Amino acid sequence: MAKDMTLLWGSGSPPCWRVQIALEEKNLQGYNQKLLSFEKGEHKSKEVLEINPRGQLPAFKHKNIIVNESCGACFYLENQFKSQGNQLIPEGAAEVGLMYQRIFEGQILGQKIADVVRYTKKVPEAERHDSAVKRNREALKQEIQTWDGYLKGSDGYLSGKSFSLADVIVYPVVAFFFRLGANESHYPNLAAYYNKLKVRPSIKKTWPQYWLEAPGQEQLKDL
Amino acid sequence: MTSSGFPGCQSAPAVPAHMAKSMSLLWGAGSPPCWRVMITLEEKRLQGYKRKLLSFQKGEHKSQEVLEVNPRGQLPAFRHGDVVVNESTAACLYLENRFQSQGNRLIPDSPAEQALVFQRMMEGLTLTDRLNSVIYYDLLVPEEERHDSALKRSKETLSTELQLWEGYLQNVAAGSYLAGPFSLADVVVYPNVAFAFRFGLSAGRFPKLAKYYSLLKERPSIKASWPPQWMSSRQGYDVLKDL
Repeated sequence: MAKDMTLLWGSGSPPCWRVQIALEEKNLQGYNQKLLSFEKGEHKSKEVLEINPRGQLPAFKHKNIIVNESCGACFYLENQFKSQGNQLIPEGAAEVGLMYQRIFEGQILGQKIADVVRYTKKVPEAERHDSAVKRNREALKQEIQTWDGYLKGSDGYLSGKSFSLADVIVYPVVAFFFRLGANESHYPNLAAYYNKLKVRPSIKKTWPQYWLEAPGQEQLKDL
Repeated sequence: MTSSGFPGCQSAPAVPAHMAKSMSLLWGAGSPPCWRVMITLEEKRLQGYKRKLLSFQKGEHKSQEVLEVNPRGQLPAFRHGDVVVNESTAACLYLENRFQSQGNRLIPDSPAEQALVFQRMMEGLTLTDRLNSVIYYDLLVPEEERHDSALKRSKETLSTELQLWEGYLQNVAAGSYLAGPFSLADVVVYPNVAFAFRFGLSAGRFPKLAKYYSLLKERPSIKASWPPQWMSSRQGYDVLKDL
């Protein structure tokens, strides 16, 4: 089953990491995978475009079934392999509702991080404003405080007592946030979540290699 | 919710009224995210939910009533008994999860179809962002930070995005939508497409999207939840007319 799967991915990309975590959680190790370099523009190569015309990673294929969009791939894997590996969608209504809500709030968190750290990549010099930079940082700060609040007194996971798709999808974004230099003492509940899940087998196994080898960035250290 | 013939003998599964009555939706007119949830409730035969129309213009989305359900002060704010599910796509997925065997199936079982539903659904969020970047430019960007070049670039990005969707709908026909039969992908994306035409998108330049738009206009769940003020005024805005 895993042998019929292919994942084209880039290191340190939260969306790619999500799919890797999901594959581990569903006991689908042994899938074909290829690490590509964003820096070299390999995400725009013919190989990727054949699976994902948007030229984005992750690009995921199961036999001749393509599921681009990381959350889409995660939903697909849980649905198709429900009875295998760990159950990633809880039974109870409250947990399910919370799980889905956190998943889509996670997109907001990812966007606000990108608005700060990718500002100079996305906005041409002539259009940049200090006021925008300031506003984006403030917005991220508020957002991350919200997440710290979500994890205060929580049962340990984003949707309640058990690890779910919400953690699969959002954890990589949280890890990325700390990789960018954020101060754990500013966000203690989020940091506790980050450190607790660091050792979960699916996460440990798929941890971005170069995060182990090289120091992180410092863009968010004063947030 | 009627039963036919003898007591205890029903020709179609009746939907208990109390299920929808324990649901409430705070919504704003013309908001694609709110519309998604309303379409889903119709599709899952959960009519009879409580709903309250609020005004974005009057700032009612930041009222205490909304903040109690959605601390982000955003609509839709959806509640099912004690369960709160904000974020429109989340509410739709929740409803399909809890009421899978009721009303229309919105996520198919077959792997290939299901994969496409999930992919198009998530791509729908990219479409939403790109539409919003253009349509809400003045709302999102303070006056002193606006640039013609930035808006131009957002329009080009949106145009490319819409062409992608035009391609996805090459074979659109009755019963053949974004991922085959009507699905959660259409629930998420259709309101965006309707929104785009409302804001002046050219049917001539996007004929497949236009066909998709007019085919699904007649679908009961969509007709029943069509934004009220869109019916009353024929003219929308035209920010997308040159795309």
